[in-house]
Amino acid sequence: MTTSPSDLPATDEASVELDAYAAAVADAVGALSWSTNFATVKVGVAPDAWVKSLRTAKTDLGLIFFSFLSAVHWTNKVEVGDPPAETVDERLEVLAAVGDLTEGRLVHFSTDLPIDGAALATLTGVYAGANWHEREAAEMFDIDFVGHPQLEKLYLPSEFEGHPLRKSFPLLSREVKPWPGMVDVEGMPDSAEASEESDGADAETLPSGVSTENPGR
Amino acid sequence: MTLEQDALKHFSEVSVALELQTPDMTLNIGPQHPSTHGVLRIVAQVDGERVTDVKPVIGYMHRGYEKIAEVRTYPQITALVNRIDWVSGFANEIPFMAATEKLMGIEVPERARYIRMILTEMARISSHLMFMASYPLELGATTPLMFALRERERILDLIESVTGGRFHPNFNRIGGVKPNAGAGPSQKKTVQDLPKGFLQATRDAMDELLSTCDQFDELVTGNEIFLARCKGVGIMPAALAADFGVSGPNLRASGVAFDLRTHTDYLPYDQVNFEVVTGTVGDSFDRWQVRLEEIRQAAYIVQQAVDQIPSGPLQAKVPKVIKVPKGEVYVRAENPKGEMGYYIVSEGGQGPYRLKIRSASYSNISVIPQLLEGVLVPDIIAIMGSFDFVLGDVDR
Amino acid sequence: MGVVEKFGIPKPISSLLNWSRKYSLWMFQFGLACCAVEMIAAAGPRYDMMRFGIIPFPASPRQADLMIVAGTVTDKMAPSVRRLYDQMPDPKYVISMGSCANCGGPYWDSYSVTKGVDQIIPVDVYIPGCPPRPEALMDGIVLLQKKIQAEDMREKWMERDHQPI
Repeated sequence: MTTSPSDLPATDEASVELDAYAAAVADAVGALSWSTNFATVKVGVAPDAWVKSLRTAKTDLGLIFFSFLSAVHWTNKVEVGDPPAETVDERLEVLAAVGDLTEGRLVHFSTDLPIDGAALATLTGVYAGANWHEREAAEMFDIDFVGHPQLEKLYLPSEFEGHPLRKSFPLLSREVKPWPGMVDVEGMPDSAEASEESDGADAETLPSGVSTENPGR
Repeated sequence: MTLEQDALKHFSEVSVALELQTPDMTLNIGPQHPSTHGVLRIVAQVDGERVTDVKPVIGYMHRGYEKIAEVRTYPQITALVNRIDWVSGFANEIPFMAATEKLMGIEVPERARYIRMILTEMARISSHLMFMASYPLELGATTPLMFALRERERILDLIESVTGGRFHPNFNRIGGVKPNAGAGPSQKKTVQDLPKGFLQATRDAMDELLSTCDQFDELVTGNEIFLARCKGVGIMPAALAADFGVSGPNLRASGVAFDLRTHTDYLPYDQVNFEVVTGTVGDSFDRWQVRLEEIRQAAYIVQQAVDQIPSGPLQAKVPKVIKVPKGEVYVRAENPKGEMGYYIVSEGGQGPYRLKIRSASYSNISVIPQLLEGVLVPDIIAIMGSFDFVLGDVDR
Repeated sequence: MGVVEKFGIPKPISSLLNWSRKYSLWMFQFGLACCAVEMIAAAGPRYDMMRFGIIPFPASPRQADLMIVAGTVTDKMAPSVRRLYDQMPDPKYVISMGSCANCGGPYWDSYSVTKGVDQIIPVDVYIPGCPPRPEALMDGIVLLQKKIQAEDMREKWMERDHQPI
């Protein structure tokens, strides 16, 4: 229900229709919140109601296609990348996208888990395809999917330590050496500020989309 | 019967029983095996020739895309995502571009959208041709490989003439396509965007391609050995496919007429006519047949797009430094392998806060253990190969 | 019995042996990632690398002289790469194809990618590119053939007793 300023105004026919659809889905599964920003239907449910809502979605709403399951680690303390613009509560947001195979609908179910001891009931009983997705989320975010038949590492070697997609996981290669592309850029460290102001000849030589502010990214 | 005869009979019975008794054996295929399309490992429990249990082991190609995307800018990610599904690099860029453009509220010029559509369909053709090359090879036929690779080079030449790259073009820019390949600022006004003669060359290539498709029909589709190997093998019911998120030609082979090209507007597919090809049974043969027919349909789309392509600018107006406003968006597209989508969580920076990549092959092969139970050992390859997965698309 | 170690091999014989070896390189296709597709294209009808004497048949490293590591080597894959290399009979050569196999390439900061296959096996020729074009691969093969032609048989003979890494 939050709308960002750049969001398309909900006046045209398609987005009104989408809003109505999202509201109907939210109503059917007893959701806490829903939104249709950027034509992405997102329905927030409580962790306890996770399996029940998705079962309703599959049996009653015809959302039989299991697209993906993943998570987002929300925190202001990040090791790599940019932190969020505003202060957020540290939490893990689990996302499951399910769709139908007739109209092209796709609904993202989301639920918030605490960061310590994150646990959620498994979806494998509802969508068998959730098996690998949950294994992936478990190894990447350290989420315990209760009742999962085989919750072991999927991608990483068994001796790997840590949960890479947590924001607290550092990329060690970046810390031991600077961005290797920097050696090819002449005079970048000193002229970085100058070029930003002039925005003339220097900016012209850079390929479009490459930032002069932070070329190391 | 004498005692000796009796003993002899007894021993021979025992030895026959011993021979027939086949204890469970573990058969390990991969991670480096010529028929696994890359570095996939299959651990199969076999009872004689029968497979009782299959465990795919993946992750040998896991490169940590979702993490390194968090420390890259949006234009840099474009170069990366080419390499997810490496036989159809251009198609991988499209949903990412569409998602970013949706967040930024950019309208892409019509000509750029058409160029994107032409190149996406060419990527689909080259991806399916790779399947036409590899699948018969896995079943023991070498000649189709030569046919398909010959045709694929023709398509790659066309892609290269526009983008400068054979299959990792990195040609899309946020808001359009790369203005003109290789042209500096001074040439920008004089150099044309598509190379001279491209449209005619494309028409010719599509005609050639369609005749090659007919050759494939004669060479492979009617072949007795080929039919014996894939008819009725690996039947996937539609409900099972949906449960596992199987998409693309694999899903359509099971009889579900679901094609994201007809449901979403990421490219101007509503302005061309094409058929959504479906199978009937959902066996390996249907999956072959659907892909072969999809090459034809893609060629028809390219033919129409080449005739209809409007003139106009190639780039919408975008800021010099790309900063994407705060928001969450998921955009999916019909890639050669199936549904590919990007869930972007943007916090207003130059790079995404979180990028979830939904790749098609990952879901497509997660269903394989279900299909391989109870089949014969040689059918493992016949079934797996028919799913046309790419390990980069599985592991990301 | 120590003859080769002591006196070496006469030059004409050595160059004849080298010449015959370099045009019959049985290649073990270690196709890992995108580069594997270009490797297949190089073996395909247009580029046809068999005309250089590269025979891309062996599916097993035990019959191969040359291993082309084409693509990203991950930490999970690295032990297998080393193991397959060890299974190859001497003399053996390695071509590292593409940026990923050379140094990690676009995944230079990833947590799961080995930053260069030369950390686990010795490499003879590096081919840059992401992915290298088939022409670049063939250029690398020609470079390797030049290297083989210039090889001192005695050194090669001695080398087999100690592993470089």
